[in-house]
Amino acid sequence: MFKTLRLTLAIMMAIALLLQACSPKPADSQSDELQGNISISGAFALYPMMTRWAEEFQRLHPKVTFDISAGGAGKGMTDAVSGAVDIGMVSRGIKPEEEAQGAYGVAVTKDAVFPVVNAKNPVAAEILAQGISQENFIKIYITGEITTWGQVVGKPEITDEIHVYTRSDAAGAPEMWAKFTGDKTQEDLLGIGVNADPGLLEAVLKDPLGIGYNNLGYAFELASGNPVAGVLIAPIDLNNDGKADDDERIETMPEAIQAVATGKYPSPPARPLNVVTKDKPTGVVQTFILWILTDGQAFVGEGGYVQLTPEQLAESLEKVK
Amino acid sequence: MTNSSNLASRQKQEKTTRRTIFIISLLPLTLIIAVTVALVVRSWPILEQYSLWELLSGTVWKPMRGQFGFWPFIAGTFWVTAVGVILAVPPCLLTALYLAEYARATTRVIIKPLLDVLAAIPSVVYGVWGVIVIVPFVGDVLRPALSEWLGFILLFASNQPTGYSILSGGIVLAVMISPFIIAVTYEVLMTAPQDWRLGSLGLGATRWQTIRYIIFRQTLPGMIAGIVLGTSRAFGETMAVMMVVGNVAQVPRSVFDAAYPLPALIANNYGEMMSIPLYDAALLGAALILLVIVLIFNLASTLVLQRLLGRNWV
Repeated sequence: MFKTLRLTLAIMMAIALLLQACSPKPADSQSDELQGNISISGAFALYPMMTRWAEEFQRLHPKVTFDISAGGAGKGMTDAVSGAVDIGMVSRGIKPEEEAQGAYGVAVTKDAVFPVVNAKNPVAAEILAQGISQENFIKIYITGEITTWGQVVGKPEITDEIHVYTRSDAAGAPEMWAKFTGDKTQEDLLGIGVNADPGLLEAVLKDPLGIGYNNLGYAFELASGNPVAGVLIAPIDLNNDGKADDDERIETMPEAIQAVATGKYPSPPARPLNVVTKDKPTGVVQTFILWILTDGQAFVGEGGYVQLTPEQLAESLEKVK
Repeated sequence: MTNSSNLASRQKQEKTTRRTIFIISLLPLTLIIAVTVALVVRSWPILEQYSLWELLSGTVWKPMRGQFGFWPFIAGTFWVTAVGVILAVPPCLLTALYLAEYARATTRVIIKPLLDVLAAIPSVVYGVWGVIVIVPFVGDVLRPALSEWLGFILLFASNQPTGYSILSGGIVLAVMISPFIIAVTYEVLMTAPQDWRLGSLGLGATRWQTIRYIIFRQTLPGMIAGIVLGTSRAFGETMAVMMVVGNVAQVPRSVFDAAYPLPALIANNYGEMMSIPLYDAALLGAALILLVIVLIFNLASTLVLQRLLGRNWV
């Protein structure tokens, strides 16, 4: 799979280069032009954004080449710390053990994990109207006290069982979801384990009684901005008033992005996406990360990602400078 | 060139050839040893901290809290493999018998390559097929039906509401190992001398009697060897099983429970969790356990076969 990604990327880059060759050359006569190769690996969550950034950065600095592969947050971290790549993409927090090994993380954009249920859920209307409280999510995903959809919406006469799905592979999304459900870790989450983001979405899509959670980019269709046909985003009832307020109800991708950017959507499950280097970045890698945090932020919205708040951006910049 | 020098050079060539082939044939053996040693070395940190018994019999898997119980994974491996092999063996033996004893040459020419194609389908394709077809079938049809009629037998009790289960894993596995069992069994049946068949038929036996009393008895060890090969493959099959088996770290009680076999544990987490202390060692320990299980299984079945026959069959 990674090979395919690499191949796709290589083809994309080739096309990009070709287009560039056709376009008139920018009048760039700097004597010490930026050059070098930047290798990047890690989280699937950040991969599409990173390829976009690399493409744009290369347009500005044709002599900088990129080698990007996706293989999960843990791999990005391992690769960056071991020196196998220059930059690791990590879609979760950085653990103290990793920092002790020299991992130097900087937040570059935000993403969020959303709870999803099947659109044919027997209590779909009630869920949209009432939302699901954090406490109830804990009872579904951690303690297992809630086992029927009736219990979720306070209608004990409905005895349809909840089919709980979770991720089987170690990843950033389940880590964040577990953090949201009472500061737990992935291994504490109940439910049938399904492999990867699309797999989890597919399981909920096929099961009217299913519940799962997905990254922003998977829960919504990029083209239309609506949730993927067949699933609903379950509102999180943050103030426990038993109804989904306007702030809590998220129906489209722009709304989701807005809610995450303004902090109305809780964090976790909203999370900063990090790039990790071994110790403080230098040279061309530093220039690239600085560019991501400044001009590069212009491309964040189009990919379905969320901009960091100005304070977070300033903090990241401070760390890299 | 004189005759003697020619002979000497031929002998020398013979010697070199023999030695080269011998050394090359040692490679697989050294490979097994090298793999085992590497796994032992890398899993040493966890073997040092916990007793072997604690690791093998522990039922709680919470690496973040330092609890490394492998029993759910070992049990899961055996459950899925057993269900797969039990489902696969009867139809496979019958298919091979039909192909070898009953089918016309043209039928054979058509069916045999098709079966070989089954063996060439990538694992992940079987996995996708399992998710799309088998999981809903088990969840919506088999589970309600079997647990209603046979639910009093704990083996068929329904404890969780989806089709992601040992049975789904077993069915996918059965389909995947079938081509191997059929191919080996078929080849073994074809080695039975034609004279036996002609002699038996000539004495007035029916085809079925011939198969049952002559062919089957003589080829049984070879058939068992075919099943052993299929079972060994089943132990290690990862991708397809992982996609349908539910991946819940619990000790299963029923074929409708979710399970978490060893290969799935390794594939889901290897390379991801290296920053947690001992996780790396624990995963390589899981690989070591799997290797040991397969080795013991193969050794044991070889010994049983030899004991059965009093001679070297496999």
